[in-house]
Amino acid sequence: MSEATALLGNYLVVGALLFVIGLIGFVVRRNTIVMFLCAEMMLQGVSVSLIGWGRYHDDWGGQMLVLFIIAVAAAEAGIAMALVMMLFHKSGTLDIAFWQDLRDEGLPRFVDRQIPEAREEEHVWPTLPVAGVEPVVDAEELLHRSRV
Amino acid sequence: MIGSGISTWIRSSLLARFDLSSMGRSLVFWGLAVSALGLCLALSNTGIRWRRLGHVIGGLGLVLLAIALPKLSDLSTVEKWTQQIVFWLLSGMAIGCSAAAVTARNPVYTAIWFAASLLGVAGLFLFQNAQFLGVATIVVYAGAIIVTFLFVLMLANPEGQANYDRISWAKFPVPLLVLSGAALVAFAAISFFEEPPPAASSGSGTLASSDHMAHLGGELFAKHLVSVEVVGTILLVALVGAVAIVIQGRERRVASSMKTDSILARRNA
Repeated sequence: MSEATALLGNYLVVGALLFVIGLIGFVVRRNTIVMFLCAEMMLQGVSVSLIGWGRYHDDWGGQMLVLFIIAVAAAEAGIAMALVMMLFHKSGTLDIAFWQDLRDEGLPRFVDRQIPEAREEEHVWPTLPVAGVEPVVDAEELLHRSRV
Repeated sequence: MIGSGISTWIRSSLLARFDLSSMGRSLVFWGLAVSALGLCLALSNTGIRWRRLGHVIGGLGLVLLAIALPKLSDLSTVEKWTQQIVFWLLSGMAIGCSAAAVTARNPVYTAIWFAASLLGVAGLFLFQNAQFLGVATIVVYAGAIIVTFLFVLMLANPEGQANYDRISWAKFPVPLLVLSGAALVAFAAISFFEEPPPAASSGSGTLASSDHMAHLGGELFAKHLVSVEVVGTILLVALVGAVAIVIQGRERRVASSMKTDSILARRNA
């Protein structure tokens, strides 16, 4: 097998793996923003394959198409973020299961049966000060979000 | 008669190429199967030990795949080994970080893992002498699109880890999807590697020159001028559309809040 074919084959496998991982992520995840990131990942997989083919055939068309893919992905990201914000304002959550009444007829409803627990270190128990003494309240501490 | 024709076509063209026994013996298939199993475990809703095990198994599967795929060259000199190792590192980073992005529980971690995967992909572009695209991926994708995602994530803030990030959809389709995805990749890779390479192409010969930007610009604005104009129009339309969606939503919310304000005013007056 020549070097050019080996390089092309490796690039195709990498592109296909990126595409498949993005596809699986898109179907499996429930957060709308993560779903959209997985769609972008699929576009990246296709881009890698296109660059490989362009180099193999010594043709600029592959790189041209990837340039257009980047531009269209940027446009799509803008609109998708506007739509996600609208959905969030209507539903108050980024969960796509909120909109599952849009599913096909005959499909069963998805119900959260088993919710895994949060990690242990999220339980920060408050400490009580000595009785009769007002605790010192730090205004910044009240507003601080330790976990995004 | 049509059905028998179709079945003979399927048997002759598709199944003849995908010889199942030889696929079972090939290391590429097993590498993909092991990494698919790892991804499936890492996506599961069970505790963190299974997910860590899934990540380790996925990594092992990727290593198997790296060993199994044909090498880029005959690996005689140090330079060729360096080339091979750089390719392995870049593609491992791209695939590994994207798998981590898909299995991360926190959406901010997903965005950052995806940015790391984009670094790997940009490296792969540079490896193939697509210098402008490598830099454009980092600047536009990682620098603008992912920052937009993070801004929106900040505005739609989930307090802590929301439970919809910790659960994926129903259990049964996940392994099925992952395995069929791996099968798709395996079929593509194996069927391609067995084909002889095509005849010498009549390419432009300018792809690897040092005047990369000059040739890219020449090609873009000579052969693909209409596409450039169309993409510009798409960007304009997307901009206007995004603003219109947000303004329309805000007007509706302002109108509804003004309505409730007037109802309350009338009630209190």
